[in-house]
Amino acid sequence: MLKKSLSLTTSYILVVVSVFMLMGGLSSCKSKKKLAKEKAAAEYTARVQQAKKDLTAILNNTSPWPLKQQIKRVEVIKSYNIADPEVKGLITKAEEKLKSEQAVAARKAAEEKLREAEAKKQMSEQARFEHLNLIFKQIAEVQSYTEADDKINKALEIFATPEIPVLIIIAQSEGFNDYDRPTTIKKFLNYIKDMKSYDYRVDSIKKDVHGKITELELIKK
Amino acid sequence: MKNLGIYILFLFGFMITEPVLAQQHLSPARKQAIDSLAMEKVRDLSKYITIIGSKNTPWSEANRVIDRAEELFMPGSQMGVSSLAKPKVTYYSVRKYFERLMRLNYSKVEIEWYKINYVSDLQRQPDGTYVGVITIFQKFKGYDKEGRLIYEDTTKKDITVFVKRKQAQIGGRLIGFWDVLLGDVRVKETSR
Repeated sequence: MLKKSLSLTTSYILVVVSVFMLMGGLSSCKSKKKLAKEKAAAEYTARVQQAKKDLTAILNNTSPWPLKQQIKRVEVIKSYNIADPEVKGLITKAEEKLKSEQAVAARKAAEEKLREAEAKKQMSEQARFEHLNLIFKQIAEVQSYTEADDKINKALEIFATPEIPVLIIIAQSEGFNDYDRPTTIKKFLNYIKDMKSYDYRVDSIKKDVHGKITELELIKK
Repeated sequence: MKNLGIYILFLFGFMITEPVLAQQHLSPARKQAIDSLAMEKVRDLSKYITIIGSKNTPWSEANRVIDRAEELFMPGSQMGVSSLAKPKVTYYSVRKYFERLMRLNYSKVEIEWYKINYVSDLQRQPDGTYVGVITIFQKFKGYDKEGRLIYEDTTKKDITVFVKRKQAQIGGRLIGFWDVLLGDVRVKETSR
């Protein structure tokens, strides 16, 4: 009899304990889910807030990032597929703005490349003319008439004739040249001899089939 | 009908002159380049006078330089010459002046031009020519064969400058250029 009642009690206790355990387990499962849901919501809200902040900074030109990084950031925000209409609007505006800035940057880069190529070309042309500038400078610096005349006669050998035209640019503006009265190479070489000064640089030359200079254009320094 | 004719004539005239006028409109940078060019020609003249007057210049070189100096002037231009001994200023053709300068009876001649400045800026005239006046001070010193200074004076002179737009055929193409020509050189005052 006693044994039977003990076994009943134990079973009863076991059932009660099981029920309590089950109830406890159920409630912790519920709060974990709730916590996870709340966490996700908080994360989403934070993401939306950050997206708005970043997009607004991009639109107001207060973003610290360079252009490429701004474009990347907008792509990332877009990939979030945020349903918020304000964010969607900001994304559209930011994309338009960055597209326009990208076009401007590309144009500037192309212009800079062109400028560099032009400068490089000019430098190589100037290097080509450097020996001529040196010849003229030496004529101007010589003290004696005899020595100067010797240098002039030697210099004239690289020109087709002593009468080839020399054009002197006195001003350049928007691709337009203003010239002094045209002279001849012989007169010009004697001029720099008389003035004892060569304040020009060779701007361009024309040559004949024999490699002799047929036209010389100088620009005042 | 008469009015229509006059109107057409006016329009035709405008069509011819308008491009020329437009071309003549000078930006400040271009005007400055022309001002500098004219000033440079006066400085060139100063250098040529020094070369021509110097007894160290070989005769052939002096004659060559006289040719170059004469090319700086308008035909018929005159150079004023003064002296402390004579109150009257004498005017010679520029060529005659240079030839006299070359033959001055000193063993050594020093001529220096300084304070070369515009007294009247280049102004555009109705015919498109720019006209201005540049003033110079000239220091003249003449020495004998013993190296003694026997004559010295300082003269103030005004030079009229003309700048005109011209064209020339160069290498098969038409080149526009600014032709600077000097006019009369007039003596304003002479002192010791």
